Amino acid sequence: MEDISLLNKFGRVKAPPDFEQKVQAALSLRKKTKPQMARALRLSFAGAAAAVLICFILLNVFVLQKKSPVALADKGLVTDSTAREFIPITEPVDYSGEMRSVSYEPETIYILEQISEASYKEIKY
Amino acid sequence: MSMDEQALVYQIQEGNEAAFAEIVHIYKDRIVNYLFQVTGDYQQAVELSQETFLRVYFKAHKYRPIAPFSSWIYTIASNLAKTELKKKRKFSLVSLDNVQNNLEVSIPSQNSSDSGLIRNLRQALNSISPRYRIPLILKDMEGYSQEEIAQILKRPVGTIKARISRGRNILKKQLEKALSGNISFQKKEIFDGRY
Repeated sequence: MEDISLLNKFGRVKAPPDFEQKVQAALSLRKKTKPQMARALRLSFAGAAAAVLICFILLNVFVLQKKSPVALADKGLVTDSTAREFIPITEPVDYSGEMRSVSYEPETIYILEQISEASYKEIKY
Repeated sequence: MSMDEQALVYQIQEGNEAAFAEIVHIYKDRIVNYLFQVTGDYQQAVELSQETFLRVYFKAHKYRPIAPFSSWIYTIASNLAKTELKKKRKFSLVSLDNVQNNLEVSIPSQNSSDSGLIRNLRQALNSISPRYRIPLILKDMEGYSQEEIAQILKRPVGTIKARISRGRNILKKQLEKALSGNISFQKKEIFDGRY
């Protein structure tokens, strides 16, 4: 193809004479700044993580802490909205019946067996 | 990859600046020329070349000798060029209708050294999407094989073949338009913005 041969005829350019010096200078500069940047980045990440952790702890301790109604009532902090969250349920428990049914006599044991020789028939007691 | 270069890379991995200087000396012209062909801007090519070599130094520990060193350095340069062209694309999506045709009436094969023709060829090359331009330059100007280009650009060989072929066709059409006096490098037609 004609255009392919033409591409080869593009003149090749060369690097400027001071290219190597510039690269070396840039390398020296980058070497100085890179550790500083890396350290700054590390510190900023650590700082951000610590800040998030502190916020989490503070929120849990002071804001999101759920106090029991008893504790609130003791402190006189039961408000209407707080009270609405709890439904008081009073269930009387009577143990007298259970105590009365207790017997000290030996327990009767009933042995049930099939006495008929006839063919199988369902026994009804 | 020659043993010398491999030894130099190992020395760079250990932080040897003399070895790095040697690599810069060996590759500076090739990389500057390649980036100039890709970007079409000499100053930008020089800056990108500097960045390429700095990355070679700082990323040398990531280099594995499974591929030639030249492929690796061209990969870095190509990636930098693609990033730069993406940035430039925002400002260059205008039609090139107003590109001046300096082509004199001549047939390329008859007078290929004509500066007008070269200028038109350059404009045609720059108007092609980088996804076609870069493989085309690597193949026809840098002399890499399709397999090597696939390795450099991290694309399948079939994709590279297709892109080279399509790039050549686009370039040919652009030149034909230029020769017929109807120079209008319709970027919208050929620059689909994908890489």
